[in-house]
Amino acid sequence: MDTNPQPNPPKPPVSRRQFMRDGARATMLVGVGGLVGLLAGRHASNGFVWQIDPAKCVRCGLCATSCVLEQSAVKCVHTHAICGYCRLCTAYFVPEPNALSTAAENQLCPTGAIKRSFIEDPYYEYTIDEKLCIGCAKCVEGCNRFGNGSLYLQVRHDRCLNCNECSIAKVCAGDAFRRVPVDHPYMLKSTTSH
Amino acid sequence: MNGQEPERDVSRRGFLKRGARTAGALAAVGAGLDIFEQLAVAANEKNANPFPYDTGRLSKTDPKLVAYEETARFKCPRGEAHRIACGADDQLLIAAGNYISILSRDGALQSEIALGGPAQCVAVAKDGTIYAGARNQVEVFDAKGQRKASWEVIEKRPWITGLAVAEKDVFAADSGNRVVWRYDRDGKVAGRIGAKDKERNIPGFVVPSPYLDVALHRDGLIRVNNPGSHLVEAYTFDGDRELAWGRYSAAIDGFCGCCNPIALDVLPDGRIVTCEKGVPRVKVYANDGAFECVVAGAESFPENVKANEGGDPLRGALDATVNSRGRVCILDPVSGTVRVMARKAEAKGS
Repeated sequence: MDTNPQPNPPKPPVSRRQFMRDGARATMLVGVGGLVGLLAGRHASNGFVWQIDPAKCVRCGLCATSCVLEQSAVKCVHTHAICGYCRLCTAYFVPEPNALSTAAENQLCPTGAIKRSFIEDPYYEYTIDEKLCIGCAKCVEGCNRFGNGSLYLQVRHDRCLNCNECSIAKVCAGDAFRRVPVDHPYMLKSTTSH
Repeated sequence: MNGQEPERDVSRRGFLKRGARTAGALAAVGAGLDIFEQLAVAANEKNANPFPYDTGRLSKTDPKLVAYEETARFKCPRGEAHRIACGADDQLLIAAGNYISILSRDGALQSEIALGGPAQCVAVAKDGTIYAGARNQVEVFDAKGQRKASWEVIEKRPWITGLAVAEKDVFAADSGNRVVWRYDRDGKVAGRIGAKDKERNIPGFVVPSPYLDVALHRDGLIRVNNPGSHLVEAYTFDGDRELAWGRYSAAIDGFCGCCNPIALDVLPDGRIVTCEKGVPRVKVYANDGAFECVVAGAESFPENVKANEGGDPLRGALDATVNSRGRVCILDPVSGTVRVMARKAEAKGS
């Protein structure tokens, strides 16, 4: 009969708990590193980011459909200082509206992203709901064709992945996509530049 | 007869083989072309605007409504043209760049007057005195182009965009302040016309973009466009609003877009000529506002229409002036041309 006490089972080099801990740490580190890398890549890739030159944009509609993101990083922005606050805004209403009301059939924007609010007779203010805006430029076309061009498209850098080869820039009909310095990432219109 | 059959260059079999080869080659080329065409169509479809802003219907004018035709066309001597006016002997004065260019009725450049800044508008009195609107002042020149005076607009935000001259008064349409200034011929402000005033039942001018214009009518009233309200309004020299007509409509008898008409002038018989932007067109209305006819539809301004599809929206606006023979001279800043339009019956005789 073997009277020797049973030897302790060999300790594994790493306990299960330790393994789980280390794994979690490594995952976190990789995640943080990836995030830092992504942010660095997005915001400072060679010190330049993509932007649309409003003077060159021909409102071809491809910004809405060509971005690698499901909802484009391009959004409509509004320089209110240029806006005429028109009662009949051609960026808000279809070319031949039934009535100047907010009814859906009268609105030009396919997603209803422009909000119209009364200021005083006969002036109305128009604001963009960016969550709804898909960057299709229909409103930009309406505003530029009849109005002052206060609406225009810009790449929003809180969304843009700053791809090395921008898929919208590749198809841009007006050759309006430019690399701009990361410390001046927007090309905004103003009353003086207009 | 020698009884020998003539030698054939190609046997029947050879002929059939060659024919089959040729047909095969042609079919291959055809298929290649077809594929190429399909690829081109697919590429075009891929790059077509998925969200078009369609004003195609508005850009077509019923030919039956067009009562004028072009009798002459000439180039503007300078770019950045804004307004045109008609002077003695049907001279044409064009406010373009930093100059007032003076042209003979057939478009020959006669002289130029240099301004200190961009010329916005121009008018000429019967005695030959020339009034030029710079952005914040009216500059006065004699008939030889010698500067006589400069009238500053003292109210803030001036933007003079239209001028009209009566015997004793000069009217300056100020888009920035949304009024028409009445000056005497010495430059003293004699009135402020069209400002919102409930007591006088004046709704005020709505001017989203700088295109307020003024013209003198033979009925003794001035006509002013109210673009944001899609109206033409008539005022006495003392600023009483006597009548207004016009309505928004994309149809030919209305004023389209956010803010039209952008310019106006008066025919010798009192009918009103209006210009629109967005869908560039020039039309004639009766004095009471009834639509009469089209002088030139959007088809007449292809460069202007194309310019609307890109670029600065404030640089393509048409202007028109009427000469002593009732001809409408249209200034198109995009093509840099002046077109002289006459009624079709008259044009044939000219």
